[in-house]
Amino acid sequence: MSLVVVRTLGLCTVQDLGRFHHMHEGVPHGGALVPELLVRANRLAGNHDGAAAIEVLGRLVVRATTPMSIATDASRLLRVGDEVEVISEPRRVAYLAVRGGIDCPVILDGRGAFLTAGIGAPLRVNDELETAGDPEFDGEPDDLVDGPITVVPGPDADAFAPDALATLCAAPYRVDPSSNRVGTRLSGQSIARVDYRERSRPLAPGAIAVPRDGQPIVLGPDHPTTGGYPVIAVVAHADLGCFHAIRLGGTVQFSVRR
Amino acid sequence: MPEWVPLGDRAIRFPRPAVPARALVREIRTWPGVVDVVVAHEDVAAYFAGPPHVEAAWIAKLADLHELAEAPREHTIAARYTGEDLDAVATATGLSRDDVIAIHSGATYTVETIGFAPGFAYLTGLDPRLHVPRRAPPRPRVPARSLAIAAQYTAVYPFDSPGGWHLIGCVDTEMFGIHGALLQLGDRVRFKASGP
Repeated sequence: MSLVVVRTLGLCTVQDLGRFHHMHEGVPHGGALVPELLVRANRLAGNHDGAAAIEVLGRLVVRATTPMSIATDASRLLRVGDEVEVISEPRRVAYLAVRGGIDCPVILDGRGAFLTAGIGAPLRVNDELETAGDPEFDGEPDDLVDGPITVVPGPDADAFAPDALATLCAAPYRVDPSSNRVGTRLSGQSIARVDYRERSRPLAPGAIAVPRDGQPIVLGPDHPTTGGYPVIAVVAHADLGCFHAIRLGGTVQFSVRR
Repeated sequence: MPEWVPLGDRAIRFPRPAVPARALVREIRTWPGVVDVVVAHEDVAAYFAGPPHVEAAWIAKLADLHELAEAPREHTIAARYTGEDLDAVATATGLSRDDVIAIHSGATYTVETIGFAPGFAYLTGLDPRLHVPRRAPPRPRVPARSLAIAAQYTAVYPFDSPGGWHLIGCVDTEMFGIHGALLQLGDRVRFKASGP
């Protein structure tokens, strides 16, 4: 079974649930920005949760060159020549899963594109995608819940004024359109830093790093494994997908885990 | 001071014990639930598949680790010392260009930590005569495979990226590929001066 790319706008890449065991060599977990949506599409397509699918940040049109079963928010059968359009709005990202999963090489234990390291590439018009693997079904998809995004305080509380965490959670921040899979830039109330010796320290997906200008950056799946900006808090694992589902230009409200 | 602090709800961070980095990685990956380890200059982070569970005794025991039995891998990388900051480094250090090249290519370096970018290895062992602070401001783009120095470190940029280090040369060797990083924690590295 295969698909051909007819049109792309924005960034469309193949992603799965990430690659593990390589952070010590500078390779982050990567994988889908919103794992919940990838899993949902895969389950609707009859795949296992971690099958490789297409992540769309923007718009994608593909055409079936063989009959196949696909899924986004719903599943659908395509005949030869049928086209399907996937638009990430009103979220930041959408997924197109194909029954069997997208066939692409496993590199460092993952199939996802990691553009920083030249692994994989953005999809382009006329790219052909083959499907692979034996489909299997895992269960019911998790749902994304609306509401405040929970954060775990620290670890660099000593880098910030005492009321900095309260400031972070006081009012919504805007998700800046310059955001990417490496990090999501936020604009809003400035987070006050105190004198702090910047040095390269371990990072994690969801870490909220604060440069000197006080405008936070939330690290995404393709984050550098170490960095110098202090981290005021880290988005709770369960809320990271919800955070990454917020469309560019949208707003996010944080709240501290009690 | 607590032995460790949370780095979100899937990782912890604690001060780096003064033992070889690759022994740290190997040991910490035997802890239940650990999927990844990052060894930075002053800190270590352990990443878990679920909520972290760690006991203070496990961290305390890390201080007793010894170098692994396997000898570290050794690399000799050909370098062309033609970097655009070579003259500035010579001026800043009061050395000649040839001295800078001789000193840099005369040392054996060790991978102390990897971070900033995939496969970006911070190499220690730089002669103190070549210690110069980072550039301010950084360059928006440093070409892949640039050989650079900053403070007590030298490194090769694996990919095009922004960077604040002084560029003293370049290499032809691919620093990162489909099998991961060429230089791994604890590896020994020498640079051999080669023609332009």
